[in-house]
Amino acid sequence: MNLRFIDWIWHVRGSLALAPEQSCDDAFDRLDPLFQQTGTSHERTNGTLVFRKKDQAAQDKMSVFDWGILRVEKGSAGSVLRYHLTSRALLFCFLAPLMFLGIAQFTMAVVKPEQPTAEVAGKSGKASDASQKAAAKHADVPMNPIDKALGAPAPEKSGKDGADGPGKRGKKPSPTPAYVFAGIFAALYVIGRILEDRLVRALFRKRLLGPSSSSARFAA
Amino acid sequence: MDGIRVGKRVIGTQAPVTVGWENIPRVEGGPLKRFFFTWFQPTMLFALLAFWYYAPNSIAKASTAIGIGIGFKVLLLGLEWVNPRFDSWRLTWKELVTDLFYVGLGYTLLRIVDDYIGSDVMVKALQGHFHADKFTWFMALPLLVQAFLISFIFDFGQYWMHRGMHNWYPLWLPHSVHHYITQLNINKGAVGNPVELFLIGLGVGGFFDFVPRAFLLAGAFGMAIGTYQHINVRFNSPRWWRFLFNTTEHHSLHHSQDYESTRSNYSGAYIFIDRMFGTCIDGEAELLGMEGGRRMSIREQMTYPFTEGWKTIRERFGRPVAAPLAVPAE
Repeated sequence: MNLRFIDWIWHVRGSLALAPEQSCDDAFDRLDPLFQQTGTSHERTNGTLVFRKKDQAAQDKMSVFDWGILRVEKGSAGSVLRYHLTSRALLFCFLAPLMFLGIAQFTMAVVKPEQPTAEVAGKSGKASDASQKAAAKHADVPMNPIDKALGAPAPEKSGKDGADGPGKRGKKPSPTPAYVFAGIFAALYVIGRILEDRLVRALFRKRLLGPSSSSARFAA
Repeated sequence: MDGIRVGKRVIGTQAPVTVGWENIPRVEGGPLKRFFFTWFQPTMLFALLAFWYYAPNSIAKASTAIGIGIGFKVLLLGLEWVNPRFDSWRLTWKELVTDLFYVGLGYTLLRIVDDYIGSDVMVKALQGHFHADKFTWFMALPLLVQAFLISFIFDFGQYWMHRGMHNWYPLWLPHSVHHYITQLNINKGAVGNPVELFLIGLGVGGFFDFVPRAFLLAGAFGMAIGTYQHINVRFNSPRWWRFLFNTTEHHSLHHSQDYESTRSNYSGAYIFIDRMFGTCIDGEAELLGMEGGRRMSIREQMTYPFTEGWKTIRERFGRPVAAPLAVPAE
């Protein structure tokens, strides 16, 4: 199968027209600070720049990309910067919904549906005695006079183990959160694929059109 | 770097840190903004406590607490956008995806594990073992006292577990991964190796949750105080707040690239526990992480404790490799 049909998932490609008088070296000089980050290595040869990033810092403006090639090509209308970048983060985010759908299936397979209370009581013998005592206690939860005076609602008279009770306890894990996260990551992928494409384009454009790094240093 | 002497130790010799409240920047902007970011934390705490104290039984449920928790985090993400503590900690798409991956694990796989071997099981077993009527005295305490005790006992346990993680190598291995984060954002508390996330969640504070409302109030204490450990928002926390409670300032120091600073501020919510045991340092840091700020990939975060542990075992117990004989230079 030709990977090109699906590699748009984690590959970002684009091009930017350079200013008419801008040389290849000048363009790469302006982009150079982007490749001077921790964990980034790069090589420049004959109008081509190849970079690799490993364990890039969160503060790196290109941290979402792990590898890329930038090439300056001369056309009839002037020079053009073409870039081809790859991102494992985008691929991971694309696959994450599948993983969470798998977790949902796993949850349903592992967590057995709750049994009716009577059946549980019949099966669990002594242990259920303790919980029955606890439930009985729940029915007589004392209320401090201070809470009465301040108007707090009286505690419920029924032990609600198994229902929507306190904290995490009393409720079996359900596959719903996994489905929710599958949806969140699907949405995040669409946002990220569009956003990161635009951000890197804007970053390159700003660098190429802005003051060169040498003149900026001189000005500083 | 010279560092700063704090008690018996010198901190900030390896990376810049700020020590002392008087040296920490304040919220900048108009009076409304300063007012908002001064009183936001106490207002939210008291509002949440009042809500859980007076909510009818039909509303005071775990599902409501989960909904409020999610809504509160979304609100705080908005505050990160409006008033960041450091621009270098701004949330990026990649950081958000990474953080939410761990949040997702917490809500799904870790939840299942907890259900079988976590603190929930421990607490259930303990409650089954001890006769419930021995604790009527606890249930008769005022709700807020019960809630505070539940959250305090949990935090006290977490303090020692966390301190243990920084002092005992087998526990440090799973916890070390969490220290590779290079910035603080609202979901960064969830980032870490699943083994560590399981360990840090162990606690028997829930042992005293006989009254559902007290347990929900205890959750409100945790949410309205502990959440600010990992957040990129500049607050003017009132003096009493930062004396009693853990703040972003305290926790940023704990995550600093300076080793000695990381050995401080272990508690999750109540910084006075650190004050009691002499491990509190009031200050903040911007440069966070390990190995000079190397960001660890998710794959490495998952495997690091095991690969590092295996390396250490091999170094200690493995067959020594015969060193080549040194030939003196002529």
